[in-house]
Amino acid sequence: MGKQLEERVAVGHLLRRAGFGLGRADADAWLSLGFKKAVRRLLDEVTEPAPADPAGFDAYQPGLIQQVWLDRMIAGANPLAEKLAFFWHGHFATSDAKIQEPKLMWAQYQLFRTRGAGRFRALVDGVNRDVAMIRWLDGNANRKGAPNENYGRELQELFTLGIGNYTEKDIREIARAFTGWGSRRHDFVFTKAFHDDGPKTVHGKTGNFGGDEVTAILCDLPACHRFIATKLAHFFLAGDPTTQEIDDLATVLAKTKGDIRSALFVLFLSPGFRDTSRYRALVKSPVEFTVGALRATGVSTTPLWGHGGLERMGQILFRPPSVKGWTRGSGWLNSAGVVERLKAARRLGQERPDTADRIEAVAYEDSIPDSLRTRLRAVQGAERVTLALAAPEYQLA
Amino acid sequence: MLERREFMQRGLALGGLFAMPRLSWAETGKKEPGARTLVMLHLNGGNDGLNTVIPYQDPNYRILRPGIGIDTGQVRKIDDTYGLHPSLAAFEQLWRRDRLAIVNGIGYPQPNYSHFRSTEIYYTAQPDSTPTDGWLGRAIEGTTSTKPLRAVALVKEKPLLLQGASNGVVTMTDFRQFELPEGARETAEMYREAAKLGGARGEVAARAIEALKVANRIARLKPRNAGFYGAVGRDLGKAFALLRTDLDLEVIHLSMGGYDTHANQGNRHNQLLGQLGNNLRSFQDQLERAGLGDRVVTCVFSEFGRRAQENLSGGTDHGSAYPAFVIGKGIRTGLHGKYPSLEDLDRGNFKYTTDFRSLFGGLLRDFLHVDPKPVLGAFQPMEMMA
Repeated sequence: MGKQLEERVAVGHLLRRAGFGLGRADADAWLSLGFKKAVRRLLDEVTEPAPADPAGFDAYQPGLIQQVWLDRMIAGANPLAEKLAFFWHGHFATSDAKIQEPKLMWAQYQLFRTRGAGRFRALVDGVNRDVAMIRWLDGNANRKGAPNENYGRELQELFTLGIGNYTEKDIREIARAFTGWGSRRHDFVFTKAFHDDGPKTVHGKTGNFGGDEVTAILCDLPACHRFIATKLAHFFLAGDPTTQEIDDLATVLAKTKGDIRSALFVLFLSPGFRDTSRYRALVKSPVEFTVGALRATGVSTTPLWGHGGLERMGQILFRPPSVKGWTRGSGWLNSAGVVERLKAARRLGQERPDTADRIEAVAYEDSIPDSLRTRLRAVQGAERVTLALAAPEYQLA
Repeated sequence: MLERREFMQRGLALGGLFAMPRLSWAETGKKEPGARTLVMLHLNGGNDGLNTVIPYQDPNYRILRPGIGIDTGQVRKIDDTYGLHPSLAAFEQLWRRDRLAIVNGIGYPQPNYSHFRSTEIYYTAQPDSTPTDGWLGRAIEGTTSTKPLRAVALVKEKPLLLQGASNGVVTMTDFRQFELPEGARETAEMYREAAKLGGARGEVAARAIEALKVANRIARLKPRNAGFYGAVGRDLGKAFALLRTDLDLEVIHLSMGGYDTHANQGNRHNQLLGQLGNNLRSFQDQLERAGLGDRVVTCVFSEFGRRAQENLSGGTDHGSAYPAFVIGKGIRTGLHGKYPSLEDLDRGNFKYTTDFRSLFGGLLRDFLHVDPKPVLGAFQPMEMMA
């Protein structure tokens, strides 16, 4: 490991990874807290209950579930909880393009929001009963005598173990364990008549398992700890985590029965997290860019153009492209993506020219490459804000 | 199947910030794809194949379609057995000019009758698993290219068809969305400077410069209006404008809605097919006049056909097999694939005779020069080029 980020820079780095960056309203508070206390505060707050839905909330009002969630990312009191919900949304990716019931999508978000930092198994238990997920992966078609293997496969391949860590037989047996787990309208229902309660053998264990028992088996496997450790590392730590870093996170998960909060503690406090090579090393997704830029300029609610921009950049909340979620990385920097980032930067500059005075602190924690500093200082107001948000450094978290 | 999933997964795991593991074309022993563009046009909703390519001599046709069947006298006969819908005068001309292939009986085993699911199957070519990426996305990802833009989807949301390509795919509905905001010159200058500095920000800057160059060119394009009308015409006019540039796109994806004709389909279907045919003929004519005839092939498909028997509302319900079309110069024109039996039905639906993966595989192999096997599996590709 190389040089460590100095205190102030490390706080900005932490907030970009564990949240959506420093905001104009809260940058000073976070920066003065120092790195370790900031980690502690983020992880303390993550256990607090989710905010209540806004008054008169109607999930069916077009765009409202996106609006409310984005606004929580921008101005909510719990950045890590929202970031984790966003992480789990990409992990258990379910799309309203198929479900067409925003209320169910919102319920799924609430599950990620409330259980996202707890024990992984409790989260999976919730996902198993989540109606959007049941509809997404054909739970209602999974019946005794005619099992549908969709969920049994993805539960292992994409949600708990990763490819290569299970057999086709495991898929079939797990599908049987979940027979009868279905939904009626907006509710989870278990239909005993559809359930196959015969013995199943899953990863070497045999019993008259149902969904909860097989979930417990899966979540105890070392492969599961490693898989979740890898996903967390790619999202929060680096595009290229070391084997040792993944092993360390997997060990924490094994020791704590899959406690995500504990794993994040270790991740954020690891020397690797503060290593200078990890600074501005991940391409921000459109949501991360947009929310971050709004925060940096003190805008507290997503403007209409923000939604249009996200759509044209190709990342609409509750509509991931497939069960695999969004592809992270440089693919976001395509023609549509870059133009929209520039438009957003321009727009925020013009609407919030007065934020130029502190943009170096808020968007860069005053750690700014010389060439960029010279450019920013050469202009003022709208121009400076625009350049600060359009700069290549700003596209990286 | 497992091998491919494994490969994709490993690719993901290896991917650092800018690492993009790909099979180099040289390694696979095939030549680099040339400047050829496959235009994929999805007839959204499920086109009624039986009233599109009509087996007008078959007595069962009258039995299945007593109300909405096309009178024999009106059918545009292409041979002694089959004819086109009366609104498809343009397709008849393409046929006579040796520009049209009709591929009968397109489908797949155990057909799904949901628009959403069956579209997924046609886009991913993976009927047996939860879809994660599209077959054209895989085809693009599996071949190397230095071009910043390789595929365009003229729709609002990036279609599953093109998922899986980590770079080079853009969706657009309007060229003007690429207009650079004021001040972009200063930003581009900043990027050029940063690109020289290397590192992650240098790579971002270099990528952004390429992206802006492409955006700037697209923003200046004018969709072709002459010869096109209606929504699909507007999209084909955009496709034509894109094809006339040297962007060298490999894929353009379009979608035409309205085919879900559950009730009173007669007039509606007449209009849809008329608009489809006239615009596609105009597209083909204009491509050839622009010297692009050898570089573009259009494939017209749907997520399913419709039920053989018409329903009691003067329409048709979701079905399975149907005829697809391929339009272009130098393709193997004519009738391909066996027309499904009108008698031997599967719960009221046509039994497919040609797996769609054979058709798409033929287009990949013979037109785009991409090995279809790792993309579509072991289906015998159809001979698509003359």
